[in-house]
Amino acid sequence: MDIRENLAQIGEELKQELAKTDALQPLEALRVKVLGKKGSLTALLRGMGQLSPEERPKMGQMINEAREKLTALLDEKQAELAAKEKEMRLAAEAIDITEPRDLPLIGAEHPMNLVLDEVLDCFTNLGFSVVEGPEVELDLYNFELLNVPKNHPARDAQDTFYIDDNIVLRSQTSPVQARTMLTKKPPIRIVCPGRVFRADEVDATHSPVFHQIEGLVIDKDVTMADLKGTLDAFAKRLYGSDIEVRFRPSFFPFTEPSAEVDLTCFNCHGKGCRVCKGTGWIEVLGCGMVNPKVLEMCGIDSKVYSGFAFGIGLERITMLRYGIKDMRLLYEGDLRFLKQFR
Amino acid sequence: MKVSMNWLKRYADIPVSPEEYESRMVMTGTGVEGVEPLGEIENVVVGRVLTCRDHENSDHLHVCTVDVGEGEPLQIVCGAPNVKEGILVPVAKIGAKLPGGVVIKRGKLRGVESQGMLCSGPEIGVPVELYPSVGTAGLLIFNEDYPLGADVKPIFGLDDTVIDFEILANRPDCLSVWGVARETAVAMNTELKLPEIKVQEVGGDIHDFAKVDVYESELCPRYAAKVVKNVRIGPSPAWLRQYLFAAGMRSINNVVDITNFIMLETGHPMHAFDLDKVRGKHIIVRKAEAGEKIVTLDGKEHPLSGGELMICDEMGPTGLAGIMGGEESEITEETKELLFECAAFDRASIRITSRALGIRTESSGRFERGVSPATVMDALERACQMVNELDAGDVVSGVIDLYPNPVKPATLTVSCARMARRAGVDIAPEEMESILKKLLFKVERNGDEMVVTAPAFRQDVDQEADICEEVLRYAGYERIPITHLRGETPMGGLNFKGVRQAVLRRQLTGMGFYESMTFSFISAKAIAQLGLPEEDDRNKPLMVRNPLGEDTACMRTTLLPGLFKTLATNIKNGNENGRLYEMGTIFDAQHRTEENLPTEIPSLVLGMYGDADFYKMRGVVEAMLRMAGIDYAITPCDEPYLHPGRRAAIAAEGKTIAVVGEVHPDAAERFDLSGRCYVAQIDLPALFAAAKPLGTVKSIARFPAVNRDLALVMKDSQQVGPLMDAIRVGCGAMLEDIRMFDVFRGIQIGAGNKSVAFSLTYRAADHTLTDEEITRLTDKALKIAKEQFGAVLRV
Repeated sequence: MDIRENLAQIGEELKQELAKTDALQPLEALRVKVLGKKGSLTALLRGMGQLSPEERPKMGQMINEAREKLTALLDEKQAELAAKEKEMRLAAEAIDITEPRDLPLIGAEHPMNLVLDEVLDCFTNLGFSVVEGPEVELDLYNFELLNVPKNHPARDAQDTFYIDDNIVLRSQTSPVQARTMLTKKPPIRIVCPGRVFRADEVDATHSPVFHQIEGLVIDKDVTMADLKGTLDAFAKRLYGSDIEVRFRPSFFPFTEPSAEVDLTCFNCHGKGCRVCKGTGWIEVLGCGMVNPKVLEMCGIDSKVYSGFAFGIGLERITMLRYGIKDMRLLYEGDLRFLKQFR
Repeated sequence: MKVSMNWLKRYADIPVSPEEYESRMVMTGTGVEGVEPLGEIENVVVGRVLTCRDHENSDHLHVCTVDVGEGEPLQIVCGAPNVKEGILVPVAKIGAKLPGGVVIKRGKLRGVESQGMLCSGPEIGVPVELYPSVGTAGLLIFNEDYPLGADVKPIFGLDDTVIDFEILANRPDCLSVWGVARETAVAMNTELKLPEIKVQEVGGDIHDFAKVDVYESELCPRYAAKVVKNVRIGPSPAWLRQYLFAAGMRSINNVVDITNFIMLETGHPMHAFDLDKVRGKHIIVRKAEAGEKIVTLDGKEHPLSGGELMICDEMGPTGLAGIMGGEESEITEETKELLFECAAFDRASIRITSRALGIRTESSGRFERGVSPATVMDALERACQMVNELDAGDVVSGVIDLYPNPVKPATLTVSCARMARRAGVDIAPEEMESILKKLLFKVERNGDEMVVTAPAFRQDVDQEADICEEVLRYAGYERIPITHLRGETPMGGLNFKGVRQAVLRRQLTGMGFYESMTFSFISAKAIAQLGLPEEDDRNKPLMVRNPLGEDTACMRTTLLPGLFKTLATNIKNGNENGRLYEMGTIFDAQHRTEENLPTEIPSLVLGMYGDADFYKMRGVVEAMLRMAGIDYAITPCDEPYLHPGRRAAIAAEGKTIAVVGEVHPDAAERFDLSGRCYVAQIDLPALFAAAKPLGTVKSIARFPAVNRDLALVMKDSQQVGPLMDAIRVGCGAMLEDIRMFDVFRGIQIGAGNKSVAFSLTYRAADHTLTDEEITRLTDKALKIAKEQFGAVLRV
């Protein structure tokens, strides 16, 4: 048989075989059958020895061309089958993506720390340093240096726990002010978060343990308008840019003039609702210009320096922020409550 | 402080609604806690029952015709037993409003039309305390003649509104109707109309009736007295009873009511003594001697410890100065001659005695906050004027007034510019002057400088800042603009502890822990439940002198009892798989600071239950230490509240940083923990001290690592940790890592044994390891395991 016919036959047979092949393994066998050492095409090549020297190059070229063609056919089929097999494998690997599994655990910080972080973030960005002081405190710092001498009725507002005559559980974070003024020179810009204690029985709005954040600024020419500006920045940062601050006259022994600060009710945005008892305002904190007597007692010249101070109740702003109606939830540690603060 | 608005309006006009009045007062510094209209009734008038017949379909109802002074008489069906012809009664007409939101509608009662309702006292909200004679059963029947159709509200003082003021601690002068009226007049910009005080006296000389000696003029800077003879005790008129009722006080009789009226009106507490019961008619103000006793007006006997300021007569105490009078010299129906006392007492002295004896009265409250000696005489004379007005007796001429050191009004020189700067508000000197004058300050202004004299009733003003506040209050706090801090901006930021704690919180959140908070005080019992050795400092907490109760009696020396309580709550509430922590301060009373304060130590406790075991708990702690760059060792621990076979201390450089373990079943029982709980306690200062900041990073090794896995069989009791440590030390730097990846127990390896599989990673920094080196290292590890720990290669 003519080599040419043989080549045509091999090609034709391969095409037929390929059409029947539907897996990679038989395909590989087919490749060997045709192109392998004992393959049909290789056999033809071996048979070239019988050809005349004139025919040999021509036939050689013909066989090589056929080889390339057949290889291309096989490769094409292989690619096709490989793609098909991959597709099948991926299809077989499909999983139920809705099975709940392998959830990494998540936890959460206490809601008061979430709010405290925001408050501290706001004030540290305004150049305030965070300073802490002892929770068990000298009466001297908690009261006397803050213009509340012994047997002063202003002590009534803060039913204080005593350790002995001179040591109290601090009833406010203000003693940190006094400690700072005694040890640092102005300019002073500090915030002092911490626990405070008052002899209140536990109920939905009272706790013998609670938290305050005290702020103090001492510098030359500090005004009540600066105080309002600082608290305005705080209010807008925490509760939104439409929140306004309102000052109302008040009294604290360590500030003069003093003010209670109301914020636009963040529930109704000032329209009046249950949260703000219809007034559109929510009382949030107390503040004032540091009483010159306090400055003098703490060794700061009140003729040169002035300053302001404020005290924020962390429980109150946390409860307002998250609509918590009972303060006891904050101290019970019930996971059904804590898990809501992810 | 509750005040009748009608009373207030006598002295200052209030030409606005109660709501707007409230708002104006609040914005000028007089707080308002409540506004309560007394009469919530409308359209209730005086009517006369013309006819009264039995209802045809009822055995108790009556059908009446009632004249209410207009048009046809009304037909009203009434069920009261005391209804009869001719009586004057309150009639709620159609459309009338009664307390509790009741509205009277036209209707039929058992087929008969009724055009209103005849009312009882309670039905129209007449306070029985104020008008006992109105009774509670049946119709209210007027004794006096009132015009038909007249509104009943003014008859019972129900046309009044009670305002509950919240007076700031520095303004005791405002604990009075006059004080609030003064603020009101300025706030409303209306005229202040305080009464002109005139007393009609009947002659005689007070010194013939009584004598007063003050031995303690420090504690009693002023004592003034007037005498009234021919005392005529009787009931007070309705208006006075109504005012007292609005203030929450009971009417007693005309004389006692006058003293209470004066206290409420002027802020000066007063007392009236029955002069015949004052032995020797001689009042002596002195300190009590130890062992003396006083029976106060409320009939209670108080033994005195000595030092309390007393009002005495020649035989002994007859009143607790400024707090409560004595029973003995009380005003009675029989009183013929009386002495009015109006005095000023030392604030602290009154406060100490009042607290010590547990008696707090309207009077003691005012004295504690400060009653100005300078205005005593106004109050005393006003009381005598009231005696005239109520015809309660004859006022004897003359006054006893012991006031050795008259208080000088505070005079200050202030700068308008400085005050404006402090306030941050542009207030003109003229405006400042005008505000201060309205507040009854005397002002002499010369340009920027003002010489300001406070009125006699103001004791709270003694520096420029106080004047600044007065000005700003009435200039308006709403005028304070918003400005921002100027000058040098300091570098702000968290403190070291705050930064470290924030990091730990984030780590714990990432490991599935929820933060809880508990109180800083605990009970001694809770500490005892830990079962610590007696000498342990945690058993010696700082005690609170006046705790709310036993549960809050001592400052926590450990956070564990709080954590146990939180865990128990969650287990009880059925919350599965709890992971909780608390970070907070503990108090070491045994190590005091230079100021004799306890040492306050930040501490951290963690607890878990449910999907938890010792290793998971320990792993969390280890992760925290690793994140802090701390090399640690796991060592034994003897905390008694932990399971003896499942507890460990984790230490770095010989110092314990944490303890971790399963809660001992006994402790679990004591703390009400059901099921197994695992806890850890971390000494935060130790953790912070051992933490290593990141330094220069090491370059990544260029030469390949080689892994060898070894399974070693050893006794079950043999701890794996020390074996791994020994191999680490023995193999040196070329052993990059040794990890345990499996533990197997089974009969194949013999009872009481375990097979532990380790993976060792070798690497040299400067060359590729040779087979020889790898074999040498592995042999070394096997040798250590066998010789030191009896662990042999599993075959």
